[in-house]
Amino acid sequence: MTDKKKMSVAEILAAARAGSKASAADEQAPVAPAEAAAAEDTPPAPKPAAAKPAAGGRPSVQDILAMARSGQAKPAAEAPAAKPKPAAKPAAAKPAAAKAAPVGQGAKKNVQRDTASILAAARAGAKPGPVSKAEAPAAARPAKPPAAKAAAKPARPVPPRPMRPQATVPAKKAVTEERRTFLSYALGSFMAVGFTALSVTGGLFSLGLARFLFPNVLAEPPSRFKVGSKEGFPSGKVETKFVAQYGVWVVNGEFEGVQQIYALKTVCTHLGCTPNWLEAEQKFKCPCHGSGFYKDGINFEGPAPRPLERYAIRIADDGQLEVDKSKAFQEELGQWNDPESYVTA
Amino acid sequence: MHSNGFFLSDVAGFLGGYYTVLAVMNGVAALLMWRRQSRTVWAAVWAAYAGAMMILASLALSGSASMVPVLPLAIRNLVNDLSGPVLYTLGTTAFLVLLFVFRKFFVQPMVAWSIFNISLLLLGLSMADENFAAIVMKPDNVPIVGLVFLLAFFTWVATKQAVVNDERIRQGLPVMEKVNDEKVLVWPDLVYTELICMVGVAALLLVWAIFLPAPLEEPASSVKTPNPSKAPWYFLGLQEMLVYFDPWYAGVVLPSLVVFGLMAMPYLDFNKKGNGYYSIEERKFSYLVWQFGFFELWITLIILGTFLRGPNWNFFGPFEFWTPYKVEVLNNVDLPQMFWVQWLNQPLPRAPQGAGLLTQIGFILLREAPGLLVMGAYLVLLPPLMAITIFRGFFAKMGFIRYMIMSNLMLLMLTLPLKMVLRWTLNLKYIISIPEFSLNF
Repeated sequence: MTDKKKMSVAEILAAARAGSKASAADEQAPVAPAEAAAAEDTPPAPKPAAAKPAAGGRPSVQDILAMARSGQAKPAAEAPAAKPKPAAKPAAAKPAAAKAAPVGQGAKKNVQRDTASILAAARAGAKPGPVSKAEAPAAARPAKPPAAKAAAKPARPVPPRPMRPQATVPAKKAVTEERRTFLSYALGSFMAVGFTALSVTGGLFSLGLARFLFPNVLAEPPSRFKVGSKEGFPSGKVETKFVAQYGVWVVNGEFEGVQQIYALKTVCTHLGCTPNWLEAEQKFKCPCHGSGFYKDGINFEGPAPRPLERYAIRIADDGQLEVDKSKAFQEELGQWNDPESYVTA
Repeated sequence: MHSNGFFLSDVAGFLGGYYTVLAVMNGVAALLMWRRQSRTVWAAVWAAYAGAMMILASLALSGSASMVPVLPLAIRNLVNDLSGPVLYTLGTTAFLVLLFVFRKFFVQPMVAWSIFNISLLLLGLSMADENFAAIVMKPDNVPIVGLVFLLAFFTWVATKQAVVNDERIRQGLPVMEKVNDEKVLVWPDLVYTELICMVGVAALLLVWAIFLPAPLEEPASSVKTPNPSKAPWYFLGLQEMLVYFDPWYAGVVLPSLVVFGLMAMPYLDFNKKGNGYYSIEERKFSYLVWQFGFFELWITLIILGTFLRGPNWNFFGPFEFWTPYKVEVLNNVDLPQMFWVQWLNQPLPRAPQGAGLLTQIGFILLREAPGLLVMGAYLVLLPPLMAITIFRGFFAKMGFIRYMIMSNLMLLMLTLPLKMVLRWTLNLKYIISIPEFSLNF
């Protein structure tokens, strides 16, 4: 496993960068000793990484990096070894040996190179493609001494990069007074026309939407409603038949020693689910988080932090009980003492 | 408990197929082991197990309801009686601790395969229980069953790699990620794989949706809450948290803190090891804190909320019938009530009638003094105390600000298990309870 000696991208890059200064100094990278040894020998030594041919004839990232690194640090004779075609070897070896000296100089000048430029440079030799920004000036100036990898592959010249097209300069506005530019003049510019139209449309649209807040017909139950006479609520009874329509329990129960009739709001004070009245257990129980309330609405189990709320209740002129949902009374604020919140049974 | 012939004859067909799949799966595994020549004994064991599964399958398909293999009633009743939120939480914690401490044992493939098979067998035997099947085979809950197994598998894979790496680091060898660092190209290797997975998952979902249609319920109504009313599965941990806290804390503050903590993690982490490879030994603190937060405070709560919380959010054993009339004693009191009334035997401090706002606030603060002191001590005194005791090294490496953020995040994370324990042991509802201003903690 360990003698497989495969280099990570980071190691190759480190070797490539350090190799331009002094390859021997780079001791922590495991590549460096082998590389130094290879640099002394003129014949190409088979590198473990380079020896593995890329599958399918396309150079892999590792091969490209290995080629770039070897081309920069020493004569590029080794680079063809990475290629699947062995026939290219002798052809490449000769010019590479001839240009050994300039390669060394070129490599020394090339101080720091990032991953993108190394990869781009290597790929530029294999196929025309995008060149990174760091590489662009070197490609643009042919007078400069040839870069390391350019010397490595003299057989395949780098095609000249197409110049980036100049940004199109907008033609000067011809000042002509026409009817179709009248709005632009009136409002300042064509942008102002657009934004004015947009804001006017948006404003009208919002007004149209706001109309929906005031519907012609309101299908809401009234906040005041009658629930029948007192006799319909015998002592101890929790009337659940108003829950579905009004969200109210009308209870005849005892609170602080006084028998009262009161209307409890069917909203759990924890997170607003609707509890169920459990007749057998004589408690309201919330299905969401298990809060429990006594018949008088006081919380006693689960996470509900405060008792259920009461709605206003009174005896209407016709003797019936009338619940008013527009007023709510909270026990923890002492509002249950308010005579509006109950009817004495 | 309510098992009857009709249900069993319904489920028998499914169980027959289930056991047959188990048999085929183990048969193939045995064949593979036999071919590799390394595990011939294990191959024999799994071949025999596959045979046993075939017997179970034929029993299930025999056509007689009484022949369907099922977990003995005594065991089911025992499980029901034992299970409760306390035992569930303690049990899962103990189980996770066990898995962590003996991880070198559990990462062995044969051990993992055995546990996997045992859990599948238990699932099959439990499925013949009507109450269990009603919950587990509900279309909403089927993915959660899959989640449990998937999560176990991926955790196992990662733990195995970490254990191997830890062993190699101990021996001075490079970690496996360094040895096998072969890279592939995004295009086409990765993108093709993703495309194939996409097509596969789409096909699976299509078939799934046809065979397990999503349940549709009656139209929503603001005055009718389904019982039990459950959040989407990924929020069930949140819903369980809400049982112990006021909504503003469990629903707003804690989730925000989770997000904030996850974002702060790279800035709080000073351990440079474990970068790019799996390791537990080198990052024990980070690993344990993460696994505690993820598994204990999120995943187990999701499982609890899915399978064990029934009507009225009561806890039900896995084989228990979900009745909305289950009576559980859950009375609880706030800390001020406990302190003033139960311990000091005097009424709660209460502002006189018609007092001004400031007087009222003063009385409220007096009433809540014990809770405020407890929480103040918890959040203000504990971080420096930990800095000079258990986190001495952390404090030196992290510096004041990073340490304070880390320790406070940890303490706030621990409020959840602490509050759960307090609820179970002392029936404590809120430590600070100011319903007048909707401030409860």
